[in-house]
Amino acid sequence: MFIPEAGDYLKLRQLIKIVLINIYHNKTRSLLTTLGVIVGTATIFLVVAIGNGGEAQVNEQYSRLNVGTVIVMPASRGRVVDPLTENDVHLFMESDNIANAFPVLQGSGDINYDNYTQGSRFMAIYPEFQASNHLTIEQGRELNQEDESRSNRCAVLGAELANTLTDGYASEIVGQSININNRKFEVVGIYSRVGDGGSGMSNDDSAFIPYSTGRKYLLGSRANPIIMAQATGLETVQSALQDIKAVLDETHRMGGAEQFRIMDAGSRLVAAQESARTMSMLLLSVAAIVLVVSGIGIMNVMFVTVKERTKEIGTLKAIGAKKSEILYQFLVEAILISLAGGILGVIIGYSTVPVLEFFELPALPSISGVLIGLIFSVITGVFFGFYPAMKAAELNPIDALSYE
Amino acid sequence: MIENPKCVIDARNIVKIYQNGCEELKVLDDISLQVLKNDFSVILGPSGSGKSTLMNILGCLDLPTSGQYFLDNTDILNAKENQLAAIRNQKIGFVFQKFNLMPRLTALQNVMLPLLYRGVNEEEAIEKAKEKLDLLGLADRLSHRPPELSGGQQQRVAIARAIVGNPHLLLADEPTGNLDSKSSAGAMEIFKELNCQGNTIVIITHDVEVAEQVEKMFYIRDGKIYDKD
Ligand SMILES: Nc1ncnc2c1ncn2[C@@H]1O[C@H](COP(=O)(O)OP(=O)(O)OP(=O)(O)O)[C@@H](O)[C@H]1O
Ligand SMILES: [Mg+2]
Repeated sequence: MFIPEAGDYLKLRQLIKIVLINIYHNKTRSLLTTLGVIVGTATIFLVVAIGNGGEAQVNEQYSRLNVGTVIVMPASRGRVVDPLTENDVHLFMESDNIANAFPVLQGSGDINYDNYTQGSRFMAIYPEFQASNHLTIEQGRELNQEDESRSNRCAVLGAELANTLTDGYASEIVGQSININNRKFEVVGIYSRVGDGGSGMSNDDSAFIPYSTGRKYLLGSRANPIIMAQATGLETVQSALQDIKAVLDETHRMGGAEQFRIMDAGSRLVAAQESARTMSMLLLSVAAIVLVVSGIGIMNVMFVTVKERTKEIGTLKAIGAKKSEILYQFLVEAILISLAGGILGVIIGYSTVPVLEFFELPALPSISGVLIGLIFSVITGVFFGFYPAMKAAELNPIDALSYE
Repeated sequence: MIENPKCVIDARNIVKIYQNGCEELKVLDDISLQVLKNDFSVILGPSGSGKSTLMNILGCLDLPTSGQYFLDNTDILNAKENQLAAIRNQKIGFVFQKFNLMPRLTALQNVMLPLLYRGVNEEEAIEKAKEKLDLLGLADRLSHRPPELSGGQQQRVAIARAIVGNPHLLLADEPTGNLDSKSSAGAMEIFKELNCQGNTIVIITHDVEVAEQVEKMFYIRDGKIYDKD
């Protein structure tokens, strides 16, 4: 006589069908259950997006400036009483913590090419400026030491400026001459695009000429430079800042170092990184709380569902459903509900990104954000759905059947 | 103990005690019964005498407080949970006194369920379920859900679900209780037909008319069983 083996199971497709029927007949409750998951997943998605956005912003800043760079400029925007001098540059260089220092002059004026005029910024720089600011050549050549010592009337243009002047045919300008404030310069190169710094004028929109040339022909010797210094390493930035302050106190007795703004790229970037991280952590803990709360919601609803369907569970057991099949059925129900909530949450999170951008919070949606959001929603479903499902599966058939 | 290969149900000294607080209620008191292959038996008895309690034990839905129960020579009291599930699914068809249909599934889906839990594919399950519902005169109610069916129709769905898997043993707890005399006679015809095909059948009934149609009768009163051939 045949003894049945415990080897045959309800097919997954059928299991899901039955679960979907149950979910469908409890539409409102299922939707309410998912609300928490929707919010939780949307938050996680946004946390990852904001984290990525912050990181991307910081990385971009890194790529535009060497970390060891220190910039010294007059603090007041108006007329400068006590400008920085070549002497300051020499004294900075005497510090053991400073590898290099050079003055930079800034001016603005009309740049004219082929009957087209564009108001723009120009900068008179030492060749070292280019490496410090990650300016690389797209076409032609860099400014070099020879240009500096001979005060050559040559210029290298930022990518955007070159584009504007030539109406899109940037490459034709190399080798041609332009006028800067009615002085003639030969364009010897174009820099690669560095991207928008987010703070007004970027190097892409500027023209660059040798320092000595700028002094001699455009800005005059009374021009008022800023100084860029390069610390010997990331570790020596702080000491370099000390040395710079000491020098300024010594050479500018009237106002001392107080009248200058000293900015170091490294610590600004570290601060930016840290605030991005803090923001992420904050949102992450919010997301975690939301998910736990929504998980408890799922558990609650699953318990009610199990209670309501206790008789049905008894019937299923009476017609031969195994413990594991009952467990799977309720788990699949919890997972499907939370997964649906997760997908909705990701969609809602995605559509919130433009709003964040409107408030100038950099957010960068990513596949990893989608995956992390969905994985967390499913984990919530499994974790909080498991206990009620287990309770349902463990019921003795007759106890379940006689439940009222 | 001599094993009788023709013995489908072999229950010995079954005792069932319900604990109500500190009070003990002995519903089944030392009940022994044997049902042979291809028997058609009824269990008779007054309300509250323990018929359903016994039937639940025979259907492997409940365990006795003490005693022994062999179903097709399988020791039910020592069987593993999954094995019991498989026995319930494949060997036993159970018609409940209160139907116990799944309220959100259609009549057809309800009848398909035992086959689906057996791993039968959907097309085959649909075909077999339709066949049984047709047999019970419900061909035009396939997509109705239980709340949209009359009591008698629900009972016939429950019968269809119990017999869809061709169980060796059909246990029915007052299967004709909610049927008019015509439907009741129809249901009895189906049971007899199944019995002719070699199935073993045990039904509980109040209906003496029903009881008189079968060869073997057990009478339960105050938890004791009496043979009445
Ligand atoms: N879970 C339980 N706990 C306590 N007592 C119970 C329980 N289930 C049944 N009983 C008692 O056991 C006795 C027998 O119940 P059972 O349902 O077996 O009767 P029955 O013979 O099927 O009656 P009916 O013909 O009305 O269906 C009743 O007195 C009932 O009160
Ligand atoms: Mg009863």
